[in-house]
Amino acid sequence: MGFRHGTIVRNEGHGTIFYRMEVALPEPVQFVPGQFAMLSGWPGNDPLLPRPFAIYRAASAGGRHSVEFVYKVVGRGTALLSGLHGGDPVSVTLPLGRGFDLSGEGRTWWLVGGGVGFSTVFPAADSLGHRKGGFELFLGGRTRDQLPPKDWTPGGHTAGRLHLCTDDGTAGFHGTVVDAIRERMKGMGVSDLARVTILACGPRPMLKGLAELAAGAGVAMQASLENHMACGFGVCWGCVAAIRDGEATAYRRVCKEGPVFNAMEVVW
Amino acid sequence: MVRDMTPDLSVTLGGGLTIKNPVMTASGTFGYGLEFAPFYDISRLGCLIVKGLSREPVLGNPPQRIFETASGMLNAIGLQNIGVERFVRDVVPRLEDAGATFAANIYGKTPEDYEAVAERVSEVSSLAAIEVNASCPNVKEGGIAFGSSPDGIARLVERVRRKTGKPLWVKLSPNVTDVGSIAKAAEDAGADAVTLINTLIGMAVDHRTRRPVLANVTGGLSGPAIKPVALRMVWDVCRKVKIPVIGIGGIMNAEDALQFLLVGASAVQIGTANFSNPRAAVEVVEGIESFLREEKIASVADYRGTLRLS
Repeated sequence: MGFRHGTIVRNEGHGTIFYRMEVALPEPVQFVPGQFAMLSGWPGNDPLLPRPFAIYRAASAGGRHSVEFVYKVVGRGTALLSGLHGGDPVSVTLPLGRGFDLSGEGRTWWLVGGGVGFSTVFPAADSLGHRKGGFELFLGGRTRDQLPPKDWTPGGHTAGRLHLCTDDGTAGFHGTVVDAIRERMKGMGVSDLARVTILACGPRPMLKGLAELAAGAGVAMQASLENHMACGFGVCWGCVAAIRDGEATAYRRVCKEGPVFNAMEVVW
Repeated sequence: MVRDMTPDLSVTLGGGLTIKNPVMTASGTFGYGLEFAPFYDISRLGCLIVKGLSREPVLGNPPQRIFETASGMLNAIGLQNIGVERFVRDVVPRLEDAGATFAANIYGKTPEDYEAVAERVSEVSSLAAIEVNASCPNVKEGGIAFGSSPDGIARLVERVRRKTGKPLWVKLSPNVTDVGSIAKAAEDAGADAVTLINTLIGMAVDHRTRRPVLANVTGGLSGPAIKPVALRMVWDVCRKVKIPVIGIGGIMNAEDALQFLLVGASAVQIGTANFSNPRAAVEVVEGIESFLREEKIASVADYRGTLRLS
């Protein structure tokens, strides 16, 4: 983990609501899918705090190192970031937090991204893509315009592997990813369901719905949570989430003990 | 000879304590110190002050706990901490290994709690000082009950003073009518230094949901937004007490830190800046040293309190 000064290589909107930023860094980045970075790129003290983003990709070639982020403009910080250009300086602290646990052998992996949440699960798809059995991908958006661009989607659009879901039915399955997964579970036996691990990132109502569904079906689930953060590395204690601790509830830091939690332990 | 001099950054803080430079990190913004070891050598700080310690571990407030504001942020963490025992057992040896100079910020619900925590941390021979939190705005009994009147602060400081031989600092709230009289009361009760300011009480609401943003409804405002308020209060208190004043409030860089020294602070604490830039505090150390070198000022002591009013 470190605090680095980087330079924007490119920062582009892609005809969608999503932006993709590549930042050149002095050192290579190694990360676990689901880990994140704190990023800022504006002068002065307003906004004051860096913003958290999932690490989307990291690359090193010919002595050049870079890291990529995907984001959606949701407020002032991301609006300012979207206005930056190649050559502009940014500072990043990374890699942060605890990512997805991909260690299970013989698991059936269902990756679920709601909205810009795909940026957290695509790196997991890259890791799992090499394994026998691979993964299935469930991507949800309100409309087709809010799904990730096709050419970003890991594994392309292999039939049977990709489940696009839109709330308005303009693309793929007409309904939420929770509805789509409920459909997917139909006809599966207890032992098959017990081999499934869901890795999910998205709006909290989506995660909550998925966690309830998974719990009822005996499916394991890791949820990547979001929260307002000040530091991103565990010192401000501002980003906590309520997590079950035996009989009690503890406040765990999303930036440190998370952002990925066992969904069965989250107090939704 | 003068051109190549290395400025003397050391400062004397009363109670027999001299630290290597005037830059401290503020309680509640620096974890237990070790979290910053990946970013720089934490032994380079004048002193780091760990997150407020209580007798027993504390759960803290429910989320949402923080909210960014114009050039600042609100927080209502609620003093979540691991408790004094785990601090002494698990954290202190690692701070010692890191060569860090460190102080313990302590708080309690009752004077007895403060006494107990003060006694326990006083057993740590490597502990540089105790900072009594008499000013947390986010917990009803987080010290503000004692810190909002001269009598209250005097009673608390007298009792803690009897329990420790360590240098004793008292962290003061700006949410009072006359911070000077409270600082004076702390001095008279035996404090070796006063730290100010803690956060200003603030609030944020959502006009659509019609709800407060923070679960605690109100929170403490920190960051550059509060710097002018802090600077005025530090300047004021420096003229009212003889003990050293530790200035804090919105310091983001060396220039800000020098301004607090200029109005009379003996040392400064870096708080919210640690969140924006994890290297902020060590950059302030470097910046103060280069300023003194450039200006050919021999020491921090020579610069401190030299504000020109005419």
